Amino acid sequence: MTSSAHFDPITRSVVQHRLSGLVAEMGEAMLRTSYSQILNASRDFSLAIVDTKCRLIAQADHIPVHVGAIPWAVHAVEARFKDVSPGDVILLNDPYHGGSHLPDLTAFVPVFDGDRRLFWTVVRAHQSDIGGATHGAYNPSATEIWQEGLRIPPIRLSEKGHIREDILDMLALNTRNGRDFRGDLAAMIGAGHLGEKRLVNFFAEIGADTVLGAIEALLDASEQRTRENIASWRDGVFHGEAFLDDDGRGHQDIRIAAKVTKSGSDIEIDLSDSDPQVTSFANSSHANMHAAVVMAISYLIDPDIPKNDGVFRPIAVKAKQGTIVWADPGAPVTLCTSHPANEIVEAIVKALGGACPDRAMGGWGRRFRIAIQGGDPRTGKKFIWHMFHARPGGGASSAGDGWSSIGEWHVVGGIKFGSVEEAEVRFPLHFRRHELLPNSGGEGKYRGGLGVALDLVVETAAVAYGNTAGDGVRHGPCGMNGGENGQPHAYTLMSSGKAPRPLKTKEIGIEIAGGSVLEVRSSGGGGWGPAIERSADAHEHDLREGYVRGIS
Amino acid sequence: MTGLKFSIGVDVGGTFTDLVAIDGAGRIVIAKSPSTPKDQSLGVMAGLEELADKVGLPLNDLLSRTERLVHGSTVATNALLERKGAKVALLTTEGHRDILEMREGLKSDRYNLRMPPPQPLVPRRLRLPIRERLRPDGSVLQPIDMGSLDKAIAQMRDENVEAVTICYLHSYRNPQHEHDTARRLQEEFPDIYLSLSSEVLPQIREFERVSTAIVNSYVGPPVRRYLTNLERRIAEAGFSGRLFVIQSHGGMTPIGEAARLAAGTVLSGPAGGMAGAKRISELLDAPQLVTFDMGGTSTDISLITGGKAIFSTQRGLGDQRIALRSLDIASIGAGGGSIAHVDQAGGLQTGPRSAGAFPGPACYGVGGTDATVTDANLVLGYLNKDAVLSGHRKLDLEAAQQAVDIIAGQLGLSREQAAYGIYRIVNTKMADGIRLMTTQRGVDPRSFALLSFGGAAGLHALAIARGLEITRVVVPAVASVMSAWGMLATDLRYEASHTHIGDTHDLDDDSLRRVFADLESQVNDRLQSWRLEEATFERYAEMRYGEQIFEIEVELEGLDWDAPGLIAAVTERFHQRHEELYTYASRDQEVVLVNARIAAVGAVKAIAVERVDVDANEAGRPSGNRPAFLDGAWRSVPVYSMETLNPGNTITGPALFEAATTTVLIGVGDVASVDAFGWLEITVRSAAKSPN
Repeated sequence: MTSSAHFDPITRSVVQHRLSGLVAEMGEAMLRTSYSQILNASRDFSLAIVDTKCRLIAQADHIPVHVGAIPWAVHAVEARFKDVSPGDVILLNDPYHGGSHLPDLTAFVPVFDGDRRLFWTVVRAHQSDIGGATHGAYNPSATEIWQEGLRIPPIRLSEKGHIREDILDMLALNTRNGRDFRGDLAAMIGAGHLGEKRLVNFFAEIGADTVLGAIEALLDASEQRTRENIASWRDGVFHGEAFLDDDGRGHQDIRIAAKVTKSGSDIEIDLSDSDPQVTSFANSSHANMHAAVVMAISYLIDPDIPKNDGVFRPIAVKAKQGTIVWADPGAPVTLCTSHPANEIVEAIVKALGGACPDRAMGGWGRRFRIAIQGGDPRTGKKFIWHMFHARPGGGASSAGDGWSSIGEWHVVGGIKFGSVEEAEVRFPLHFRRHELLPNSGGEGKYRGGLGVALDLVVETAAVAYGNTAGDGVRHGPCGMNGGENGQPHAYTLMSSGKAPRPLKTKEIGIEIAGGSVLEVRSSGGGGWGPAIERSADAHEHDLREGYVRGIS
Repeated sequence: MTGLKFSIGVDVGGTFTDLVAIDGAGRIVIAKSPSTPKDQSLGVMAGLEELADKVGLPLNDLLSRTERLVHGSTVATNALLERKGAKVALLTTEGHRDILEMREGLKSDRYNLRMPPPQPLVPRRLRLPIRERLRPDGSVLQPIDMGSLDKAIAQMRDENVEAVTICYLHSYRNPQHEHDTARRLQEEFPDIYLSLSSEVLPQIREFERVSTAIVNSYVGPPVRRYLTNLERRIAEAGFSGRLFVIQSHGGMTPIGEAARLAAGTVLSGPAGGMAGAKRISELLDAPQLVTFDMGGTSTDISLITGGKAIFSTQRGLGDQRIALRSLDIASIGAGGGSIAHVDQAGGLQTGPRSAGAFPGPACYGVGGTDATVTDANLVLGYLNKDAVLSGHRKLDLEAAQQAVDIIAGQLGLSREQAAYGIYRIVNTKMADGIRLMTTQRGVDPRSFALLSFGGAAGLHALAIARGLEITRVVVPAVASVMSAWGMLATDLRYEASHTHIGDTHDLDDDSLRRVFADLESQVNDRLQSWRLEEATFERYAEMRYGEQIFEIEVELEGLDWDAPGLIAAVTERFHQRHEELYTYASRDQEVVLVNARIAAVGAVKAIAVERVDVDANEAGRPSGNRPAFLDGAWRSVPVYSMETLNPGNTITGPALFEAATTTVLIGVGDVASVDAFGWLEITVRSAAKSPN
């Protein structure tokens, strides 16, 4: 094989387009065949091709926090199974066996060229339920992982084309909606097989060795571009920190510390100084920590660099087990793909703000979920509603103001909120107000994107109950390069005859009397650059259009 | 030529205005004239002059013999893409003024966190809150507060707005508040362009409704202005026939309706090509076609399946969501003018930058110096260096070679290898686009024939087909003016829909019949005002399973509407369609009927096409040979002039075919035959040993 630098650039581009087209096609199949709303509406899934050396080869732009975690899952699969055959399907979710958190179930389909096993097509999808003590897998009261759901180490669900129906029965039985679970899993496996089929056809078309050669060249090219990017930043040792509000058990301001050593085209990220792990679900798994690091770097380099193993090569990660970013086996971790993933990203971006200020952006919002369950007086039926409305604002950057109503660091505009009209038709909810929240974005030369004001009337006859899971009512998204922080979240429950009740981010069983109003004020994004440098035109525009309210 | 009657199709493109005149016998006359972006009607008039000249009649004579002039306009498209539309105000439910700017929380280009957000078509200060509120069942929770309306009117007056959109929550259920508001506005501003969301898109989901209604107000005034001008100019020039505009859904409407539903004209241009493709599908008895329309800056791809065009409501243009039903046409930002460059990692790329009409490819000699796909095609010998461009210039081979040499130098490749690389990369992109277009819709491209049209398509179609394992390629004689030709094959069409949110378990047969009966009478009223005598109706239901969010369109043709069990029959059709598309049906799940839709279609007489008897005795002879770089080597390739070929001629590749405005390349082992229409039908050599 020729060295990758001399690999025919034309074939390399053809392979690049074909692989990315193939992963996109897997994603389309997944979107259209899955059952659960979290998959077909919110698109909380990701697809990838990984080789047998556990290197990420290609991915589709779905959920950033999944991407850097997937190679670790393949490590666990390769370590467990030495005798993989065509037609096998492997499954896992356990965060202590290569997974990120229990809801993210991952399916692996091996891809062969003749006798040679070359790749895995990987499908990771967030399940609407994975068993455990509470519906939907977010359990703020969990003290150990067994209370969070069903743990699946790498298992062989399908052997040489034959699904182990007995195993499938056991998995489905341990989730609250076995039928949807089966439908979603069938969609995942189908998407994996589709990718396998397309790859095998591609081998037949141009030869597997040509594909392999092109892949080496593609990984090297991504590495080279990433290194060129990094080399253009200032050398030095940089520190950044970010804080979780709390663990829901009385510990506040849990610190994530990033010490970033940038030297030439290499970056070492040391998270060892972060706080010890906590007793609740706000800990991170090992794979999720790596995913958060990769997210941070992916946001700082040129956006069009293909996200593959080459991007990871210049990055070294150090961390200590037993800390908030890498919990000991058995600790609960379900919140980790949002928190502390968001705070890990923020600490690293803050640190590298010193090395590449024009690339570092203001903080994006944090996630503050609420799920309400109750009865619909119009139909007499029970309902559970998950709030995706009132998305927080995005951070400002050297390119300009942040995006409003766009989502969190780990999602960055990848999750859709539903129609207000449809929500009012389907649930006993009245959206009195759902619009941008002036003054919520952090000020700066460029202003953070705005959060959203939602006044939601809960029109149940009897008491409804709410669960929350999230963070960010004490700490707003960080400002960058002298920009101000965005306003933090503030959710308040207004019930007649009662004092306003601020909601905490990690609560279960919140009583919501019929006719109560939930006042959601989601956070704005962080600003970029000193506010004093904001142009008079931009300032005037903000006032004229009502993005910022004047004193008068 | 006395006594002859004509139909004329006019397609205004970015660079050229294409015109086709056709007489009753199917004889076709073609003209191309430069487009005039500032006032497109000037270019149309110049084109008509040229067309008359070619027909051999004075313009006045030609126009007075023309029964029908069908027009594809890009006024709306350009206004939207160039952000040169009207100043619009939005009147909307208090507390919900930012639906447009919030974009459902979505952002494309996931990893680009250093890009500023798009600017909404209506600035926030002109999104004016009106205190009013409907319940989801259409009942009134809060009547319109006249004080808030007065305040909005005062602001509109201060700001001198040209157009206004009214969109209230749940107005698809009860349009009364929108109507009351409109009446009041018409008293205050008699000439204002007005869009009611309950008229533009009477459907649940506020983001799509408000976005579509705002696009309508944004492009409405320029479209209305343009069509009024055009109507006046052609009337002055002697035209007394009927003027129609093609809409994005592929049907044509009188100009009054086109001006009212202006957002429905954003795909007017490519829609003509699809109508032509449908006609070709009938003529060739080829029900499965991939349409491949490769132009200078972009390439449009769509499908004809089972002889019909495909539709989508999930479309947009230039960042704007337009949820009107439209032909499902995918646009790829690559074409003959796409510029090649070497990226930072040393990889060869083509596009997304395009040289457009100006400065154009290097070989056009009007200022371009970057190597484009067209330059590569010239360097490779695919294009004739002695060909005469419009404007009577020749292609500049040396300029093309210099441009390609820069790329070759950066890659350490020879000139031919670099040019051939550009050619292959753009082919790969096109093939990816076609693959995604077909597989996303669950169909296998290999079962389709590729219909190649548009000026640049012919040189790439065979290579792309080979990559996709497509075995048949068709190049019609009208390939370079296909959209204008297709316009003459377009039916009159008017659509109406009704959101009828309902679980099929809760609906009864009579209420479903009533929904469609109401739609039918609504559509009939409209058609009578268009003087259309005979119409057929197409009925559709958009349905999904309870927990799903993507509806699928279910055709309701052939149902017995009077028989009992109507709902059950409609529901079963849905299950079957779901199974066809996604491999499974869930018959135990509840099914929701989201939208009922009706289309009235007034069929026009099919365009005749001249047929010539096959005379296989007369062999096709090349007009000469030229060197072309094929599969890694220079070869002497025979060149045929399309005009000298006869039906029945069969030619085995490699070969080049030249017509007035397009060139077709077939590769080694491809076999082209000339059919009874004088079109090329090509059997593609298998890709088994694709050279690399």
